[in-house]
Amino acid sequence: MYNNRHKRGIQSNKEQFDIIDLDEEDVHKLKENLPSEIRSLDEMKAKDVQTLAEVGMLMDESNRSGTYLCYGQYGFVTAQFIEGLECIPIAEALERYLWLKEKYWFKAIRKNEDKIVETISNSIPRGFFIRVRKGYKIKKPFQAALYMTRSTRVHGLHNIIILEEDSELTLLTGCTRAHDAKKGLHLAISEIYIGKNAKLVSTMIHNWGPNFDIEPRTCTIVEEGGIFINTYCSTNPPRTVQMYPFTHLQGDNSSAKYASIILGTPNTYCDIGGTILMEGTNSGAEICARAVCKGGNIVQTGLIIGKGENCRAHVDCAGLMMSNEGMIEATPALRALNPNARMSHEASIGRIAPGELVYLMSKGFTEEKALSTIIRGFIDPGIEGISPELDAALTEVAEISGHGEEWDVIPIRNR
Amino acid sequence: MGEIMLDIRNLNVSVEGKEILRNVNITLRDGEVHALFGPNGSGKTTLIMTIIGYPQFEVTKGEIIFEGENLLELEIDERARLGIGVAQQRPPTIKGVKLRNIIDFYLRNNPEKVDYISKQIEKFEMQDFIDREVNANLSGGEIKRSEIFQMVLSSPKFFILDEPDSGIDPEFLGKIGAMLTEILRSEKKQDQIITRSSGLIITHTGDILNYFNADLAHLMMNGTIGCTGNPQEMLEQIQQHGYEYCIKCNRRKKGVCD
Ligand SMILES: Nc1ncnc2c1ncn2[C@@H]1O[C@H](COP(=O)(O)OP(=O)(O)O)[C@@H](O)[C@H]1O
Ligand SMILES: [Mg+2]
Repeated sequence: MYNNRHKRGIQSNKEQFDIIDLDEEDVHKLKENLPSEIRSLDEMKAKDVQTLAEVGMLMDESNRSGTYLCYGQYGFVTAQFIEGLECIPIAEALERYLWLKEKYWFKAIRKNEDKIVETISNSIPRGFFIRVRKGYKIKKPFQAALYMTRSTRVHGLHNIIILEEDSELTLLTGCTRAHDAKKGLHLAISEIYIGKNAKLVSTMIHNWGPNFDIEPRTCTIVEEGGIFINTYCSTNPPRTVQMYPFTHLQGDNSSAKYASIILGTPNTYCDIGGTILMEGTNSGAEICARAVCKGGNIVQTGLIIGKGENCRAHVDCAGLMMSNEGMIEATPALRALNPNARMSHEASIGRIAPGELVYLMSKGFTEEKALSTIIRGFIDPGIEGISPELDAALTEVAEISGHGEEWDVIPIRNR
Repeated sequence: MGEIMLDIRNLNVSVEGKEILRNVNITLRDGEVHALFGPNGSGKTTLIMTIIGYPQFEVTKGEIIFEGENLLELEIDERARLGIGVAQQRPPTIKGVKLRNIIDFYLRNNPEKVDYISKQIEKFEMQDFIDREVNANLSGGEIKRSEIFQMVLSSPKFFILDEPDSGIDPEFLGKIGAMLTEILRSEKKQDQIITRSSGLIITHTGDILNYFNADLAHLMMNGTIGCTGNPQEMLEQIQQHGYEYCIKCNRRKKGVCD
């Protein structure tokens, strides 16, 4: 199910990132019950609150249906009482609901999928359980934050999200580290179950930095008429990230859209892809991947498998090279198992066209503003009703990318 | 006569090493609008792109002075901020960049213009274009409308229109001409602000001049200004006898055309 980057034959500094060391000591830590660094979220420092806000996690919950915050190793839940919505730590959920293990726990993903999944499966269960009951459409977004503190070193989470029939949820996930955290490994499993005619809009914003390694594993099962919209935006890449979410469109008329927006910087490695298996009749899938490379290696993969009758899909990968260093590799892929599958893909990589830049500058845009405007347009995932959090993250990616050009986009100066 | 606003002196311009403009001279005074005639490929667009500052147009000789400043020392955006606004002939599309982004840019820099800008959106009937990619999938006439609209938003003190009358239907041209006259040429004296923009209008057919007055006209031929004179007369000459005749005419030999 997951891509094996060791087999990819990536050029240049691949070796540097090749193997995520699962340090014995770190792995051991995941099996220990450690006390929380803070007693309540009120004890968080202003800096923590600010860092979390940068990935969309607001301590002011007036526009949130609830919060799960994993501060270091310890998860806090401040779910408000909203009818139809339930969020509790996963350990508690496993005790309370016996059916969880039977029907959902390691049912979308296999325990021995890879060493990351295996490691989490052998740890103390940490993470959240969210359930939206049948027919409830939760208006305000639920926020989940994963916060790596200085002393954390390793995160191992297992989340389960269940949307029952006809329910709706908007989930904002923000993953980041404390400003003084130097290094860390983030491992996470998410199993998502989208029931009949239910809709999950999930937005994940990551802000890491050079000494973090990120290995999320997500599997989603979508039943008849269900909709899954999954957006990932990385404003500050970790040293390595490999994620390859798998979505199984099991039911008829179900659909999924993945959008990923990545900023690559020197000495980072982002392998972001995804597979969508369209099994239901009339199921539909779309993958939209955008990368801006200011250095580092970015691999965009997207595979859609058309198995069901009349399924339709499109994969679109586009990359913008902003530096002489670095690499973007785009490999959109399609696999049809049904003669009536209609599938297409496109991929393009290029640099900013000078004509576009000078056009905006002729309207008074500074070079930097023109660049960020063009990049913001380039990375727009084309999602209707884009959330303010995602909009802010995209704008940030555009501004960082447009800042401090390594080369002159405009070749000749007229003087 | 007003102060000299734009002074182009002995200008030579090359593109990719090929000389396109030779010894171009134009002097335009504050408050004046000049027309620029000339056959296809004579260098009209090249001249205005050079004024605006498009980097591929390389000035090999001469100078361009705008309100006393040497334009050739300024970057393209700096020139725009001096008040030079342009409606381009063939603007590019930019993936994902919407007209809204450009409107927002003007609004952010000039928050006091919010009413003015919404009025222009209405006048130019741009409501349906705002959330579309700028210049993408527009008809020729719609591109002109969109470009002129954006130019108007910047309230330029010096405006440049590159063939505003090609590919646009006469009715709409009349409307645009009237709007431009109102926006750019009306002298508002009662509230003490006198806005009378100067400009340069490139026109192939001269149609725009039926709706918009020009003070002087220049004829561009083979990369240089062949004749300068009265716009109406020059246009008549061109329409009756063609560009070549206009250049060779007797009056020009005497150094006048009007
Ligand atoms: N970017 C360019 N590269 C090469 N030649 C160009 C370029 N732009 C214009 N030219 C040439 O310069 C000449 C003048 O073009 P232009 O200024 O567009 O004419 P006009 O606007 O008067 O029709 C033409 O011969 C055209 O082919
Ligand atoms: Mg032209």
